[in-house]
Amino acid sequence: MREVAIVSRKFAVENSHTLSVAQAHGAYKTLEKLHTLAPLEIIEIIKESGLRGKGGGGAPAGAKWALMPQESERPSFVVINCDESEPGTFKDRQIITKDPHLLIEGILITCYAVKAKHAYVYIRGEYAQYQDVLQGAVDEAYVAGILGEVDVTLHRGAGAYICGEKSALLESLEGKRGHPRLKPKQPEPEWYFGNPTLVNNVETIASVPFIMEHGAAAYRAYGTEKSPGTLLFAMSGHVEKPGVYEAEFGVSMMDYINHYGGGMKNGKKLKAVIPGGASTGVMTAAEADNVQLDYESLRSMGLSLGTGGMIVMDEDTCMVSVLKNLLEFYHEESCGQCTPCREGTGWVDKLVGKILDKRGSSEDIDKLLEVAETMNGKTICVFAPAVSAVIVSFLSRFRDEFEAAL
Amino acid sequence: MSEMIEIIVDDKTYRAEEGSLLIDLLIREEIKVPYFCYHESLGADGNCRMCMVEIAGQKRPQIACDTLVKSGMEVNSKSTKIEKVHTDILELELINHPVDCPTCDQAGECSLQDLYMDYGLHDAKVTIVDKVKHDKKVDLGSNVMLDQERCVLCARCTRFTDKITHTHELGIIGRGDEAKVSTMPGRKLDNPYAMNVVDLCPVGALTSKDFRFHQRVWFLQSAESICHGCAKGCNIYIDHNKMKYQDDVIYRFRPRRNDAVNGFYICDEGRLSYKELETNRLESMLYDGVVVDEHEAIAQYKSLLTQYQGRVSVVIDANLYSEEIEAIVAYAERIGAKVFAPLECYNDPSFADDMLKSAQRAANYGAIVKMGLETNMPSDAGLIINFNHPTHFNAEAEIHFSTHKQESNALLLPMAAFSENSGSLINEVGLEQWCEKAVEKNSPAPTVLSWLEKVEG
Ligand SMILES: Cc1cc2nc3c(=O)[nH]c(=O)nc-3n(C[C@H](O)[C@H](O)[C@H](O)COP(=O)(O)O)c2cc1C
Ligand code: SF4
Ligand code: SF4
Ligand code: FES
Repeated sequence: MREVAIVSRKFAVENSHTLSVAQAHGAYKTLEKLHTLAPLEIIEIIKESGLRGKGGGGAPAGAKWALMPQESERPSFVVINCDESEPGTFKDRQIITKDPHLLIEGILITCYAVKAKHAYVYIRGEYAQYQDVLQGAVDEAYVAGILGEVDVTLHRGAGAYICGEKSALLESLEGKRGHPRLKPKQPEPEWYFGNPTLVNNVETIASVPFIMEHGAAAYRAYGTEKSPGTLLFAMSGHVEKPGVYEAEFGVSMMDYINHYGGGMKNGKKLKAVIPGGASTGVMTAAEADNVQLDYESLRSMGLSLGTGGMIVMDEDTCMVSVLKNLLEFYHEESCGQCTPCREGTGWVDKLVGKILDKRGSSEDIDKLLEVAETMNGKTICVFAPAVSAVIVSFLSRFRDEFEAAL
Repeated sequence: MSEMIEIIVDDKTYRAEEGSLLIDLLIREEIKVPYFCYHESLGADGNCRMCMVEIAGQKRPQIACDTLVKSGMEVNSKSTKIEKVHTDILELELINHPVDCPTCDQAGECSLQDLYMDYGLHDAKVTIVDKVKHDKKVDLGSNVMLDQERCVLCARCTRFTDKITHTHELGIIGRGDEAKVSTMPGRKLDNPYAMNVVDLCPVGALTSKDFRFHQRVWFLQSAESICHGCAKGCNIYIDHNKMKYQDDVIYRFRPRRNDAVNGFYICDEGRLSYKELETNRLESMLYDGVVVDEHEAIAQYKSLLTQYQGRVSVVIDANLYSEEIEAIVAYAERIGAKVFAPLECYNDPSFADDMLKSAQRAANYGAIVKMGLETNMPSDAGLIINFNHPTHFNAEAEIHFSTHKQESNALLLPMAAFSENSGSLINEVGLEQWCEKAVEKNSPAPTVLSWLEKVEG
């Protein structure tokens, strides 16, 4: 495996969250070059780099930046999504604690490119102590005059998973309930109090300084044709060394787990992997043996790469209780707007609970799939379809375990 | 206005404005699609997910309330596939619903109940173990009671207080199936239009404290009328019923849509003004506080008229129907009396707002102005014949046609209220509107016109 550190290059440096250490290791160097380029030229470089959003969706970042108006009577905003609440995902917090200045540098480049003067970082409510580190870095950058005419404001969420969905995040930032908005009819920016707004994940923006420094081709030198660059992949569960390790897209999942994770804990056998955060479905050990970590490979299996946070499960794992655990989370976190999601998440949770308690019947399994079908493709946001896909992935791969529990 | 284009719905061609909402067309053309959350005055919110239709070229079903009409669009609202979608979502809607229709006041005018019947869920597959429990009796304030279990979370009520009254008392708290409507902490639902949320609520979650448990809606008859609370002329339904062995009584006023006047709403004060029609009514003829029969009353009437010949003033209430006012004016001319319609007493700026409520609190205000009747009362009247005017005027003698009891020694003659009679009104901006007769009392008080016949006969 080829070692690569684009976003994690200062992670091992002690006190890299302080301005002096960060600057000694190259932070903010790209800002000198920034003003030699026009905003549209920067957007062009981001497009060429093929940088994809790292918040789970993998949307091309450059195209999204290009939706922001270069001429606008209203102020433009940049919002950094640090809600990071997807179970199995804990990469963004590495950035804001180990290299917050990299994020700030990325924010400044982004603001310049989309002509925004104000950036918000929306931080998961439970990340209070990590927020303090980031706030310390922002304060230092202010004092050092690095931010220039850009303001960076940290906003702490109140602990709702759905506020990671970009439009719910903006509602929340506007002081309203975190409810996803109806989707626009054609591609357009997001809107914060009616002002054009760009929402990107922490890691997406933290990847920008590298591209600015080394060029689009240097970024494309890693990863695959369609999934260029790297991701802060992560592992949790039954591995020897759980953690966050950057790798390029396209590496083999098992190589990654064995190389960085040190293999299975206590020499147990692998049973299943949730590839990229709770909402990405589940795969069997045999599938894990043959899969590469990029968007297209996972998509072709009917799963998704998500945030790259893998949950690794050994042979002793009960898949019914894993699904129950996930469904409890979704039951708790559905925002409750859409009927299929509000009522469906509760119902599927209770049905799987029944099966887990050995009170289930085969009709309950059918019903589970039927409700999953009703939850798919009929709601405002993709929360409900994701829950639906999770259920289908469990039942299509481990149905025998559910039947055995009846 | 945008271009008119053609679209196809269920194999039939319809015309609509390009870019208008598909659901508006479906509602206008009475093409049935189930829905809870959309409302023409509140716009689309897209939360109930019931209004799904199939659109040619689109992989997934789409909600009609968030679909803009485009030329050549082909919509299917009735395919087996889409009906299954409707049934499935409805089934989910019902899993936590208490299905307490027998004790619910909305029964008979409930969208959920109607859809349940339409989509044939009679043999409920709904076998959920534990339904989510909520509060069934929350007094929100302003006569509005909330049953959180019956609520389908369509957010119509919260959008009403956000977008229409801008008072923001209501909100939805909690997530997922724990979500529920509530007032903001420490606040009550408290605005002059609050009770409209009861009409907006598609189910029996919001009920009117004033109406609940009084009458099953399917027994009610509705007459189209105009509220008499002020000169705005809000269109209403008078819902009334005559139960066996009892009198015909009014149970409620409801707003009747008229985009040129009141839209979908009426104010609470107007809504509750029906009560005045059922209380403290003058039922017998009185002279000097003593009950008299019709024969004696008419004899007394005539004798007073002769006694004050040449010194008679007729006073007209600006709530009478135009037809009545015209007949009184003609009658006054025949008996040589002067006509007055004092308006001052109706002026109440404290009642007015910029939504519906007008400072002129008389339903036929516009007719008085249009007819140019004298509005200043002289101070030296001999005999006053008062046709239900609310002011007491000094005079040597008085004959008072009145809907309600009065503290008076005058000759008091009971008359029919507007709900017991039909006629037209002109509102403050000159719009003429018609009121149907709603109520037929067991022993009805005579109308103005029949009184005039009696006293001239
Ligand atoms: C239910 C749900 C939760 C999400 N949570 C997050 C999150 O915690 N962090 C994040 O960056 N994106 C999250 N997203 C994705 C965002 O909506 C959005 O696509 C992303 O922030 C865009 O940034 P990117 O293009 O840089 O990935 C979530 C989406 C959904 C539907
Ligand atoms: S799908 Fe679920 S989470 Fe998404 S908007 Fe609808 S109710 Fe909320
Ligand atoms: S109370 Fe009625 S109007 Fe309000 S959200 Fe519930 S169902 Fe809708
Ligand atoms: S009416 Fe369209 S989603 Fe509710």
